Amino acid sequence: MDLAGKSQGEFFESFRSSLGEWLTGRGPDADIVMSTRVRLARNIVEYPFLTKATPRQRTELERLLRERIHKAAIAEVDDGGAKEGDGPSSLSGPGPGHIPSPGPTASPSPGPGPMPKIAGDGARTANGGIVYANLQETSPIDRLCLVERHLISRDLASGEGDRGVALGRREIVSIMVNEEDHLRIQVLRSGFQADEAHKQIDRIDDRLEGKLNYAFSPQFGYLTACPTNCGTGLRVSVMLHLPALVMTKQIEKVFQAVSKINLAVRGFYGEGTQASGDFYQISNQMTLGRSEMDIIDQVREVVPQIIKYERSIRETLLAENRKTIEDRVWRAFGMLRSARTITSDETMDLLSAVRMGVNLGILEDIAIRTVNELFILTQPAHLQKIEGRRLDTPERDVTRATFIRQRLENLN
Amino acid sequence: MVCENCNKSVATVHLTEIINKKKKELHLCEECAREKGVTLKAHFFAKETQPSADAPAIEKAAGKSKIAAEDVLSGLSCSVCGLTFAEFRASGRLGCANDYNAFKKGLSPLLEKIHGHTEHRGKVPHQVGERLERQKKLMSLRQSLNRAIQREEYEKAAEIRDQIYELEERA
Repeated sequence: MDLAGKSQGEFFESFRSSLGEWLTGRGPDADIVMSTRVRLARNIVEYPFLTKATPRQRTELERLLRERIHKAAIAEVDDGGAKEGDGPSSLSGPGPGHIPSPGPTASPSPGPGPMPKIAGDGARTANGGIVYANLQETSPIDRLCLVERHLISRDLASGEGDRGVALGRREIVSIMVNEEDHLRIQVLRSGFQADEAHKQIDRIDDRLEGKLNYAFSPQFGYLTACPTNCGTGLRVSVMLHLPALVMTKQIEKVFQAVSKINLAVRGFYGEGTQASGDFYQISNQMTLGRSEMDIIDQVREVVPQIIKYERSIRETLLAENRKTIEDRVWRAFGMLRSARTITSDETMDLLSAVRMGVNLGILEDIAIRTVNELFILTQPAHLQKIEGRRLDTPERDVTRATFIRQRLENLN
Repeated sequence: MVCENCNKSVATVHLTEIINKKKKELHLCEECAREKGVTLKAHFFAKETQPSADAPAIEKAAGKSKIAAEDVLSGLSCSVCGLTFAEFRASGRLGCANDYNAFKKGLSPLLEKIHGHTEHRGKVPHQVGERLERQKKLMSLRQSLNRAIQREEYEKAAEIRDQIYELEERA
């Protein structure tokens, strides 16, 4: 699992073109729900939390956790995933959303053929497509690419000392090592799949628990560095694309309703980030005193209402102002196809209109996946990865515009 | 936090005084506190018995007992990682799993505020679950053992005793 320098490089090289399964737009309600993310915060009893860990303990922790994650033989696509059948959310087979293998590496490819199953200890296929990167040895650009892909936190990227991340090649599973907690386990799925994502993360947690002594107290649950996460340690975040609610200024109403029931609203890149591209993440705040299912159920109750609200406004807009909406979408598309220099903010805004246009059938020749991926590939670190060198802001704006034009020209 | 007197040792004695509506904080290590003749108890006692003349007595007493309680909390420290409750309050991050025990008094109201609850519901690690299950069973077996002995059912008591041994051994 531990990627030697060369193959790790190849893995990061794949960031130039391939993206995670969550961007395929194949999950349920993916026209409005970009992704469902669940994460668990876990610590082990043998070491202090990272705030109090010495550099030496931090190094030991990284080594120990890396080894135990490996031994836990986590499969990114497991039996539970297979039960979902052949529907749009199916993860079986490569399909149109398959991420190209990053090249000849020692790890088994999740490509065609039977799906990797959870294998016993010591099995050669135990990786199930999970690779590990020590972030201390990873370049700042690659680390930022991981942030832009929603696979690690900004804090982990900019942190210091031994730390790492175990990643599924399909980018569904990521396990941060030595973030605020010893482990932050994440499952990221396309569309609205809170239940499925939770089932998957629960199985991963079970496997890790078999190899680790989790810090747990019957009263406070899983013990975390920040008391806001103790209890279940579970955070469910649903990323919603709500351009119609923003356009009609109804979004405030949603915020008010959501915050009344103690759910948090955040921007595209989570905590402390601004809303951009009309994306909003809705997540639970409370983790203690309610079970995992209580938390999932609350989200499952609220999100469909927001989806319904957004859809009904889109329908009204189309019925009453079809030409205005079409104009907005086509102008956005035209700008993206013509611009010679473009900022990140403007890109997000225009892509948002295009995304809505594709989902409303106004733009027919663009795959939703292409649009989804552009949200990530036009971020600063990805542009620099694609160009293979550092770029200052004006250079990035030119590179961004060129890149978008190429992507949108190659459609027909 | 370093002692404000010697600037060397870690400050573990935190005093908050309110004199003429002005809050004054003093952070000392134990040694300096002793040298200065400040013991927590003496300090609280002095505060309780020397009310200043600018506020109604009841209000003052309430305010002071609150200050006293906060001083006690601030002085708490974890025997495992050394974090003090004052440090936790400043950073918002705990130092180790034992802090949840060491700072239980201070954390409970905070958890109530954040989560609206102070008792975990939900997943329990299998190992922990088994241990809790075993403890529950042991407790009920010991009660049955007592009952059996009281009723002079010695054969039954021996049986229960063996079950207890077996369970304890497995642990």
